[in-house]
Amino acid sequence: MTYDPSPFGGKLRTVPYAGAVFGADYPVGLGGLGGSPDGPLNEVHVFWIAGMSCDGCSIAATGATNPSVEDLLLGRVPNLPKVILHHPVLNPGAGTELTRPMKKAVEGNLGAPYVVVLEGSVPDDQAFPTELGYFSAMGAGGFDPDSETDQPNRVTDWLWKLAPGAAAYVAIGTCATWGGIPAAAGNITGSMSLTDFLGKDYRSALGVPVVNVPGCSPVGDNFTETVAAVLLFLQNLAPLPKFDELGRPAWLFEETVHRHCPKAGYYEEGVFAEQEGDNECLVEIGCWGPVVQCNIVERGAINGMGGCMVAGGACIGCTMPGFPDKYSPFYKAPPGSFISGGLTKINGGAIRRLRRMSMKSGNREALWDSVGEVPSGWADDKGKPSAFDKTNAFFYKKLQYRGSVHQGKRNKKQPLPASRDILRQKGIDHNQGTDVLGDRVRTR
Amino acid sequence: MSATRAADDVREMDFDPVTRVAGALSFQASVDVGGGRVLDASALATLFRGYEVILEGRDPRDAIFVSSRACGVSGGGHATASALACEMAFGIQPPPMGIVARNLMAALECLYDHPTSLFTRIGPDYSEPVVRETNPELWERALQTAAPGRGTHGFELIADIMTALTRFSGKLYTEALHRGRRAREAYVLIGGKYPHPQTLAPGGISSTIDTQDMNVMLMRVTEFFDYSKKVVAVWDDVVDFFLEAEPRFREVGAGPASFIDLGQWDDPYAYDGTFETATAWAQRRWSTPGAIVDGRLRTTDVQQVNMGVEEFVDHSFYESWTSQAPRLRSDPAGNPLSAYHPSNKETIPQPGQTDPARKYSWCTAPRWDRQPMETGAPARLWMTALARKLPHRSFMEPTGSGLRLAVPQAWLPTAELEWRAPRHWGALERNRAHAYALAQATLVAYENLVLGLDLMRRGGPDAGVFTHYKIPKGVSHGTGLWGGTRGYTSHHMTLESQVIESYQILGPSTFTMSPRDGQGNPGPCEAAVVATPLLSTANPERCIDVLRAIRSFNPSMSCATH
Repeated sequence: MTYDPSPFGGKLRTVPYAGAVFGADYPVGLGGLGGSPDGPLNEVHVFWIAGMSCDGCSIAATGATNPSVEDLLLGRVPNLPKVILHHPVLNPGAGTELTRPMKKAVEGNLGAPYVVVLEGSVPDDQAFPTELGYFSAMGAGGFDPDSETDQPNRVTDWLWKLAPGAAAYVAIGTCATWGGIPAAAGNITGSMSLTDFLGKDYRSALGVPVVNVPGCSPVGDNFTETVAAVLLFLQNLAPLPKFDELGRPAWLFEETVHRHCPKAGYYEEGVFAEQEGDNECLVEIGCWGPVVQCNIVERGAINGMGGCMVAGGACIGCTMPGFPDKYSPFYKAPPGSFISGGLTKINGGAIRRLRRMSMKSGNREALWDSVGEVPSGWADDKGKPSAFDKTNAFFYKKLQYRGSVHQGKRNKKQPLPASRDILRQKGIDHNQGTDVLGDRVRTR
Repeated sequence: MSATRAADDVREMDFDPVTRVAGALSFQASVDVGGGRVLDASALATLFRGYEVILEGRDPRDAIFVSSRACGVSGGGHATASALACEMAFGIQPPPMGIVARNLMAALECLYDHPTSLFTRIGPDYSEPVVRETNPELWERALQTAAPGRGTHGFELIADIMTALTRFSGKLYTEALHRGRRAREAYVLIGGKYPHPQTLAPGGISSTIDTQDMNVMLMRVTEFFDYSKKVVAVWDDVVDFFLEAEPRFREVGAGPASFIDLGQWDDPYAYDGTFETATAWAQRRWSTPGAIVDGRLRTTDVQQVNMGVEEFVDHSFYESWTSQAPRLRSDPAGNPLSAYHPSNKETIPQPGQTDPARKYSWCTAPRWDRQPMETGAPARLWMTALARKLPHRSFMEPTGSGLRLAVPQAWLPTAELEWRAPRHWGALERNRAHAYALAQATLVAYENLVLGLDLMRRGGPDAGVFTHYKIPKGVSHGTGLWGGTRGYTSHHMTLESQVIESYQILGPSTFTMSPRDGQGNPGPCEAAVVATPLLSTANPERCIDVLRAIRSFNPSMSCATH
């Protein structure tokens, strides 16, 4: 069994520190990395590091259900290795209880494979000497075993020191993937994305560039699913997940969010929301969905529910490398919408009217066509089609049933049910019914 | 934590990072392990991103979505405060349904956040593995102690509760993750996503709310009727057990019961978006704004609360800005404002060496009436209970010393809960208050759902969710005063020529996790850590009680530093 590691531009490399070789000549399993030489991976350490972050990605990850964070941590998914998570917000112990294994990994003594997850962007702290402080720090005591410093350790030091030995480096959220708001115009921290920080040539110990799962905040399932897909691949149980040219999981981010948007149908028919709270397509109140790669309306924000436009929120491009400045100001129609939206109003207006005609017919039982009335107490619907409707329906059905069975003709031959309109047949005056609701219903 | 031996048994300890709190927090402490005392403590906020500076020079329509991202834990609170600031600056107010929808989002955020905090951050410190390691005699006692609330929560013994609090594997831990998701499922129906909702707008909300949304939210909220009864019963049992077993636990994280809050959940017919009338409309909120000092109510006037706030940077990595003339000498109602007031603040970062004698935190030191104040869900209970300003509400009633909450029947019968302001304020009581705050938020969510359904039934302009606005051309100011899930959240915005000239954010944890001020007064959490006795009989070096004290404040550090 072989697979082609060429998407990453070459052979998978040797894995330092764990002692095993994982290359083209050893394609099965991840020998030695926590498992037996030819067996599966049993455990993998994950170091979750927060840089210039708001913790929102951690919160989003706990919202995942396919799999959930606890599924991964408790090893509840068959064939997935148990994830040993070192996370500042979830860890049992404080201080060195969290940072000790990280230091071991930096020194190459962890004795097990590890993945690094970064949440938040990377400040330009490496541009100035340690004595001048930091913008983002975690852990104390320096990196040298003999160090006696009580200064906080800069997050940027952790990031570059952990890079060479990491089996994979995952950036979660738009800050870590593309810099996000901390790197926006006017920032004074020199923040950047993880890819900018580590550089174009970075490859993890397994030869993988930085994996990017964007979103501000991201969909939790997008993250856990990517992790699970990569782990299944490493177990030799699934194909290598496809990543796009920016390291995004391609199956999640190759489509525009507009293509799966529940409001895209409004766009097609050329109907647009005029103000916040309107139900139609949100482009004219500032939605960038047609040009943004994201899956939130298809997958939902959490457990299949919600999603920006599903709830009426206009897309501001928060999964994109250009966020936020290339989508600012928010709540203003993107200039492109004047052309595309304008054309759609003409085109879609015609389509919409034709569809309403089809719907008018589709909203009739065949029986109602036969008797020429709609017995609905909800509205004063005479159900009498006009001559135009009849002509239209005649040709439409001709086309529809051509080469097949003309169900319309068959329906015309169908006898009328004898007990139709039974109350009238039995002489019951339904306007004199019992007043079951009584005073509880107030007239408006 | 790392420890270096100093004179006698006094050790310099670094709790870096303090885990199981949201965000970058570290504590440096001098601990007399033999004497079981903490001699000195400094809270280090170890992150600065510069949101206020990034907001300057932007279109005010960017403010909501940019400032929300200062904090992933209470992004909704920031987005709301920002919307309020915009509305004040633009001179608009949302229609009632827009306000109700915001209230719902704010309450649902609590339904997610409170259980998550109580069981994934705080709970493990009271779990079987931790108690057995630090106080085995308490574990033995817990095995012999029947749980008084077993009829509600179903755990026979206190020890069973402790087992259920265990990290990852405990039933209460995993249930909290599940419940937190259920609350967020409801939230995203009108918020779009969580954290960082995508529907808040100046003038209301952009959500399209229909019967399906209301129905699903209603089903989710009613799940919390029973869950909040259970959570209250669990924490009543845990807290009472610890306090009875060892009364000195009341000293863990002890504090003076000084609180500040802005109140949240607006009366849809009272809020009008103007500062001049803020005193009246803010007092009609479901939770009352105000300030309490040493357990005594000082004010419930939101203008007075705002006026008394000052931020100091003597021990923070910022330069002072007060050499320049203040931007505002008074608020729009004419109350004088200090040069240290957030409206007058400039953010001038200056990173440097960490030195507790000089500068050591990215947190500023906010004070009210020059005193350190606590914020958070407990402050919401204290203020509402003591103030008795709450307008008539269906399910809650303040008594002057407590808050009665009538949680309706679901599978469990109706429960009449009453939170009572405790005489001794500390870590355990903070945790208990958080549990009651869950019940409070559940009832607010339910009442707003009922209100929303009624507005939908009646239709008309009140059922609208949005009001049009124009961005004013001259100079205008907007102050967003909001309670937020984790408490006090204020945004202070100045517009000039339709561009943000100045934007200042003050979050709840900036108050609680603040460093010392210019007078040398420690921040509330620093003081609480110093007040904490080390009560572990088996492993005092682990300083579990110090961590219990810190975590009881439930800080959110990204929000604190922004």
